[in-house]
Amino acid sequence: MSDPAITGTYVPAKPAKTKTQVAPRARRASTRAMIDRYSVTEYVMIYAGIALFLFFMLAPFVEGFLVSLKPLSQLFSTPYSFWPEGGSFEAYRTMWVRIPYFGLYIFNSLLIATVSTVIVLILVVPAAYAFARFRFRGMALVLGAFLAVSMFSGAVLLIPLFRLMRTLGLLNTYWAMIIPGAAFLIPSAIWLLRTYMMRIPPELNEAAYMDGASQFYTFRRVILPIARPGIVVVAIMTFIGAYAQQFIFALTFNSKTEYMPLPVGLFAFFGKQEVIWNELMAASFVGIAPALVIIFVLQRHLVGGLTAGAVK
Amino acid sequence: MGQLSLQTVTKSFGTIDVVKGVSLDVVEGEFMVFVGPSGCGKSTLLRMIAGLEHTTAGDIVIDGVRVNDMAPVDRGIAMVFQSYALYPHMTVFENIAFPLRVEGLAEAQVRDKVGAAARILHLEDRLQQKPGNLSGGQRQRVAIGRAIVRAPEIFLFDEPLSNLDAALRADMRIELTRLHKQLGATMIYVTHDQIEAMTMADRIVVLHDGYIAQVGAPLELYHTPQTLFVAGFIGNPRMNVLPVTCVGVDATGVTVDLEGQHLHVPVTVPAAARAGLPGQRLSLGIRPEHIALAQGAAADGTAHLRVTPSVIEHLGQQTIGYATDDTAVAGDGGEAVSFCFVLPGTQSIRPDLPVALAFATDDCHLFDAQGRAFARRIDMAGLTLPPMADPATGG
Ligand SMILES: Nc1ncnc2c1ncn2[C@@H]1O[C@H](COP(=O)(O)OP(=O)(O)O)[C@@H](O)[C@H]1O
Ligand SMILES: [Mg+2]
Repeated sequence: MSDPAITGTYVPAKPAKTKTQVAPRARRASTRAMIDRYSVTEYVMIYAGIALFLFFMLAPFVEGFLVSLKPLSQLFSTPYSFWPEGGSFEAYRTMWVRIPYFGLYIFNSLLIATVSTVIVLILVVPAAYAFARFRFRGMALVLGAFLAVSMFSGAVLLIPLFRLMRTLGLLNTYWAMIIPGAAFLIPSAIWLLRTYMMRIPPELNEAAYMDGASQFYTFRRVILPIARPGIVVVAIMTFIGAYAQQFIFALTFNSKTEYMPLPVGLFAFFGKQEVIWNELMAASFVGIAPALVIIFVLQRHLVGGLTAGAVK
Repeated sequence: MGQLSLQTVTKSFGTIDVVKGVSLDVVEGEFMVFVGPSGCGKSTLLRMIAGLEHTTAGDIVIDGVRVNDMAPVDRGIAMVFQSYALYPHMTVFENIAFPLRVEGLAEAQVRDKVGAAARILHLEDRLQQKPGNLSGGQRQRVAIGRAIVRAPEIFLFDEPLSNLDAALRADMRIELTRLHKQLGATMIYVTHDQIEAMTMADRIVVLHDGYIAQVGAPLELYHTPQTLFVAGFIGNPRMNVLPVTCVGVDATGVTVDLEGQHLHVPVTVPAAARAGLPGQRLSLGIRPEHIALAQGAAADGTAHLRVTPSVIEHLGQQTIGYATDDTAVAGDGGEAVSFCFVLPGTQSIRPDLPVALAFATDDCHLFDAQGRAFARRIDMAGLTLPPMADPATGG
């Protein structure tokens, strides 16, 4: 095409043919942005991938639930049948009889996980803010050390931890399970929340400072509300972590039945000769139910886009 | 109150000097604009005045008090950030009320003051919305509302309009000027946009590499820039600079040689400096808008040039031609320079065809080899606004 500026003639661009080859379902999905449109093959592959992934994730739960409905005798029948015949919720009743302390175990688990989470949040929120906003000597070193610590699991350090707990006189108390649990969850929580807080524009701090607010006022009234989704994520992660970790600490640092958390309590279903699988599964489902409720409640606070409109 | 004085204020980041000794007096109630290219230290200077940045050396004095070590609120200063810096989780009302909440003001007073600020900025209908639901212009008004609610003596603005589109920017310029009249407070406004500077300022400070290049009223800077830098920065499109050779000096001006034409430029050269001047290379400045199509033969007091523009922009109201380096007028030493001209109305000229242009030597600026301007012999009274008549004594 010749340059219109040089020849002095204006060549209007012809409207492009509108019939282009978009995906067959394009008309139905026409409100989608082009970048979000996929062909049928792509959809099939995407859903196949999701199905495969979900199968691996959920199969143990499904099987566990089915087992909890079956009578014990049916579990060892050959050929093995997936579907319970004459299934009932009987195991959900008998498990309370077999383990009278079951309710207490659930309470202990929740207590340990909740107190650990609260301790972690109280320590981590200000620490993450400091690491995100201030520059100070040795910061990189401390952050690196946190990263290194978070690579160990508590299990590696059980023997030194045991001696420490004994020296502090904390063996056979709730604290023996709470303190090491919280300690090992702090490093990753700091890293996670620090990354979140670094995304809060520093101009907000400057604006608040210009308006006369103190560091603490700014932290409380500006930073904390904006960081809420990040804090909720950290709370959920910590709670799950604390719930999962308590088994190993309870087993080693606690021998009092009344302080035992749920995972240790479930051991009672492992008899001398046999494992009461159906009740074990029933107890597992009942045991994680309160934790699920707590996580669902927390998740409702996970609202995105809280910084919309702050800058630009 | 709201008188600000900077006394050789300096700022270094490590070994890098960003602001290199700025002295300036800002009169109470003045609209002062800091202008300069990106990275020249405007924001740094403003942040030092605000109290966000420590001053390496020099004093900042507000109403006779040295404020170097005072917090921003104690200085009686409010600032509007380029990025608005609104609190995203608060409503517009709470955003504007924030400084009052910090102060611990009673709820009734907070309501009054926020209401008054919202009225000035036309935000009454938006008070219960979150910043995320507002347009750019409204967000900027909320940011301004948060600044005015405390009734500070000095307002600082750091490129407040640069995130807005052109039409909104023009509206907000007018609104800010109106706000300045209404509040009567001192305002210091940072921008890299010379149009904002020209349209809003009582006085402009042109910053260049951490130094003040020139301070003056907008038209003063336009008509009598003291350096090549100011000449190039103020005015759009920028001033053309043609290399010339001095061939003679007398009390009425300097005669220079431009492509064989001898032009007499009316400037004042101190008697002592005259002797060394002939033979020297100088820079002749002519603004694009002072150039016209040549009519007839060259007359006294006009210069003629043949230029081959490579791009012509027809704006209807104006016709702008650009000659880029390779098609440009031949400079006096044979080297090519770029050249731009603005003609009124629609002119039937075409790119890549030579046009004959003319300009009056009275409109020319002349700069020495160091880029310093020779004082022009012009009657500034005819070119700038008369000083404002004092309403008490006038008429
Ligand atoms: N905190 C800082 N540390 C180091 N250099 C800085 C800092 N702030 C600004 N500078 C430098 O100072 C110079 C001027 O910056 P600034 O005042 O923001 O310029 P502008 O005129 O564009 O507002 C820039 O070169 C910038 O890189
Ligand atoms: Mg800047």
